[in-house]
Parts: sequence; C-alpha cells; structure tokens
Amino acid sequence: MNIIELKDLHKIYNETEVEVHAVNGVDLTFEKGEFAAIVGPSGSGKTTLLNMLGGLDTPTSGKITINNTDISHLSGSQLIDFRLWNIGFVFQAYNLIPVLTAKENVEFIMHLQGRKKDEREARTNELLTAVGLGDRLNSRPSKLSGGQQQRVAVARALASKPKFVLADEPTANLDSKSTENLLDIMERLNKEENITFIFATHDARVMKKARRVITVEDGKIVSDVRKNGDE
Amino acid sequence: MNLINLRIAWRNIWRNKLRSSVVMMAVTVGLFGGLAASGIMKGMVVDMVKNSLENQVSHIQIHHKDFKANNEVDFLIENSSGIIERIKKNKEVKGVCERTKSYGMASTASKATGIMINGIVPEKEKQVTQIYNKLSDSLGNYFISDKKNRILISEKLAKKLNAKIKSKIIITFQDYNGDLTGGSFKVEGIYKTQNGMFDEQNVFVRKVDLDKLLDMPANSSHEIAILLNDFQKAPEVLSQIKPAIPEYFSEAWYDIEPYLKFTSTLTEFMLLIFMSVILLALGFAIVNTMLMVILERTKELGMIMAIGMNRFKVFKMIMYETTILAIVGGALGILVSVIFTWYFGNVGIDISSVGEGFESMGFGSVMRPVLEFADYIQVIVLVFITGIIASIFPTIRALKMRPAEAIRN
Repeated sequence: MNIIELKDLHKIYNETEVEVHAVNGVDLTFEKGEFAAIVGPSGSGKTTLLNMLGGLDTPTSGKITINNTDISHLSGSQLIDFRLWNIGFVFQAYNLIPVLTAKENVEFIMHLQGRKKDEREARTNELLTAVGLGDRLNSRPSKLSGGQQQRVAVARALASKPKFVLADEPTANLDSKSTENLLDIMERLNKEENITFIFATHDARVMKKARRVITVEDGKIVSDVRKNGDE
Repeated sequence: MNLINLRIAWRNIWRNKLRSSVVMMAVTVGLFGGLAASGIMKGMVVDMVKNSLENQVSHIQIHHKDFKANNEVDFLIENSSGIIERIKKNKEVKGVCERTKSYGMASTASKATGIMINGIVPEKEKQVTQIYNKLSDSLGNYFISDKKNRILISEKLAKKLNAKIKSKIIITFQDYNGDLTGGSFKVEGIYKTQNGMFDEQNVFVRKVDLDKLLDMPANSSHEIAILLNDFQKAPEVLSQIKPAIPEYFSEAWYDIEPYLKFTSTLTEFMLLIFMSVILLALGFAIVNTMLMVILERTKELGMIMAIGMNRFKVFKMIMYETTILAIVGGALGILVSVIFTWYFGNVGIDISSVGEGFESMGFGSVMRPVLEFADYIQVIVLVFITGIIASIFPTIRALKMRPAEAIRN
C-alpha cells in the first residue's frame, strides 16, 4: 500500500532570473514500512525533494499525495498541522532545543499535539529507552555526545506517532560507531514497529543499510534500486 | 495548563545571562527613574492641594450669591450661627467657622500694601484651618491675648512691611456703609504656610474686632467654611447643604479653586504619558535584544516550525520571553520605587535652598514622593503591554523564516 505518491513533481528556483530545476519531473511512490535512501551528489536535488515530501517546501508543479491527502495545495497553517500529525523529522545537526532535557525535547512535540501528561511521559520513557538513553532522561543536549543527541532526535521524531520519518543527512556529523549504533536503532524500529524511514544522504553506511536506494541527479531520478533486486 | 513555552522562555532568557541582565537592568532603572520623578511630581501636587485645603480653601464654602463676584462687604450671610448649627449636624462635617472678609490696605511707618483681612473666631477657625499651627514659638501667639485689635501676619508680609511682633499696623478699608474706616492693630503672631502668594495677601484678626470696625450687623458674616472628615465626600455633603440654604451660594473646593482639581488630574495624566514614553524607549531596547535572539536561534526556530509549531504558538513563545524580560526588570524597578517612595515619603527631600520659587507657586519646600497602589497597577499593565507589543516585530521576523532554509542556516 502506497503511503506517499509523487507525480510529475517540479521545483524551479529563481523563476524570474536564471531558472534552476532543482527537481525535474519526479514520479515516485513509497510504501508503508520502507527503509529507503535518496542519494546523489551535492546539488542533485535530494534535499529539495525531501523538503517537498515533508511539506517544508511547495512544488512549482506536480502533486504530492500522502495518505490520500494532496499536500501540494495546502495552506501554510494546514501544512504545519499536517507535519505535526504525519511526519517525523531528523536533521543533520540534531536541532534539539538546548534549554530542554532529553526527556523534555521528546515531550515537546507531544505538547504541541496537546497530548495528556501521562501519555507523554509513558511514550517519552519508552522511546528514550528504545534508543538506549533511558538513563539520560534529564540530561541537556550539551551534556550528550553527537550520537546521543541524534538518538534523542530520532526519539523526538517518533514521539508524534508519524506516518513516516524523514531524515536529512542524519549521520553526517557522527563518527562510525555512533552512525552504526543510530542506524541499528532505526532499522530495528523499522522492522519491529513497521515505521517508514526515508533518508536523504550520501553516506555509504546509510546506503548499505537501506533496502531501497533512489539516486537523484540534476533533479531527476536516475535509478531506483530495491535490495531484493527489483528496479 | 501547558507551561512548556513558559519554561522554554525562562530558560532561554538565562542562556545569555549578561545580555538579559543588561536589558532587565535598563527596564529597572528606566522604570525607577520614571516612577521616582512621577512620585515627586505627584507628592508636590498632593502637598499643594492639602495645604491649600487646610490653610485656605477648606472643603466647602458658603457665600452671599454676589459676594464672590464683587467682594463687597454688604453681601452678607445673615444668621450665620443658625446656619452653622444646622451644618454641624451633618455627620461628615468635622468643623465649621464663619469669617468676615474685607480688602484693605496695611501700612506701617515705612511701607504699605494691599491685603485681604480675614476676621475669624479663633477657636472655630482652629477646627477648619491650620493657621494656628503655622506659627513658630519664637514668632508670637495665636490670639492668646484677650486684648482687642490683635493681628496675625505672615513672615513674608512682615518682611515687606518691616514689621515684627508687637509692631503696630494700620489697616484701612471701607465699612458696611461705604465710609472709609480703619484701625491700629498690634502684631501678635507671624505665620508661614507653604503658599507664598497666600501668605503675602492674608492677615487674620478677630472677627469681633473687624465686625465692629466694619459696622457689620450682628450675627452676620461673609463666608462660612466647612471642613469634612473626608474631602472626597464634598459632592455628597454639598448636595445636602445646597437645598437647606438655597438663598446662599455653596460650592466645593474643586469649584472654588478649579486649578487644584485640574492640577491633580493633569498630574495623573502626565504620569501615564511619562511612563508610556519611558516604556516605549525600553520597548525598543527589548525589540533590539529579541531581534538578536531571533537571529541567533534561526536554526532552532526553523526546527520547531518544521516539526509543527504553529504561528500562534511561536508568537506565544517569543512573547513570553519579551514579557518576562520586561516584567522581571519592571518588578525590580517597582520594588526600588516602593522603597524610595516609602523612605522619602516619610523623611522628605529638603529643597529649601531652591524652594523659594516653588513656594510662590504654592508648593512646599520639602518634597515627599507619593505613589498610590493604582499608580503601580497602571505601570504593571503598561509593562505587560510593552512586553506584548515588543514581541510583535521579532515574531514577524521569525515567522518570515522558511523552516527548511532556517534549519540549514
């Protein structure tokens, strides 16, 4: 079952001056439970594609359907609401709120959703334990290593019970051990809880773990390889 | 109640302790400066109004309908004692006295000047005005002597006429029949109020002495002055007195001396304007700080907007931070102002070295700052409003960010 469908997606920057086709006619679908990586060199358009998938950017033309909702025509405030309830984000630079503890960072998104205290606390403990930080609940980001911060970010991304998680270069700032650890956690969550993960990356370690690798060049998909051999 | 935004705002403030402390200190000093100046200004006006009411105007006055327009001695209140007895029955009345008044000329061997002669019944006058309290021990007495034709003059008039205690002053004026008359009065006391203009013009003699010289009919006067337990009850008491003596003209202090009321109202208004201007300037300082904060936290704001924080919640988060900055600074400013007003309200600030000019305008030579609870509430509301308004511009700046770009900043 497809949870994401992209149809003839275009994104053109600087439309009045020099036109840059960041995304040029992309057709793509994702099914529930995928562990996919969008790869490509810098400037290939993978981040733009990911941003449009996440409702952070709007397409110049084309259609993005997520769970039967066409998000390409949603207003700004509808998109914010859509992101809150449907999409989890993991960013390259962790982007945790520095004045909040690990626990509070994870809880924050549930506050935005208006979830009750008991539910927030139970889910936070569950998620931080799942990413191996059950003993660091009250640590602030400055007291955590890069790998630990990124694991908190993963827990935060999952806290809102999203339909899928978008991770933009999640391992770019991590050492090998932390990368391995993080990818193992995400892979486990994907397999055990059927959570869909879509990465934008050029990290070979992520590509190795991904079960589907979509290669983007000059805004176009040049290959879409599934690890079971299908293309 | 969801306090996460408040918690974030509070902790964010202390991310840069020095910067936040400087802003808070600016608010503290600005508010204290404004409140202290306003308190002094208000204290001076309150003092002026109080002195004017206690020494001169009292709370309600009754005259013949034409007396105030012409000041002629034949515009009399007849049966003064009967009217006074009726007024005394009112529970709100603290004291009542009658006066005979006449313009005249006071002269000594060397000088002469125009004056208002107030013929008073000393014991009754004590119930209404504080003139008896304005004589220093070394400057005579308040009608202790039973001898006739004694006079109280002010220190200012004494200087002007070159007179001392026991000096003789010749008073001339027109009597009830229109004939020029006069008498020789011996200075029994020298008084000094805080109103130089009043002092320069007013002398006090016994009513019985003045009535005799004026050839006034028995049991008559020109003015009945009433002091109330609470000056704010003046309108209520006036509405009871007026119908009881419709043949005479009764008016309250704010109609007798409209400038007193006007000055009080103006001072309240000035305090509002003064504090608004100060808070406007402080608001700009807060806006500037918050713009720096927004710039520094571009990534953070991009992230929270990306994960789903809506515009209103972003505004609330920034507003909490600006409002806390304003409120903490404001609370300290108010606290210092309360201490300042309490201390100097009791001790007073002596400005006698530069006070002569003030005295001629009716202000005292000791300033006692006055700020009421309502004034503080007004300032607290203004601080809140400043915090909220100061958060609008930084919020607009924050909301203009595109989350995707902000995160990659």
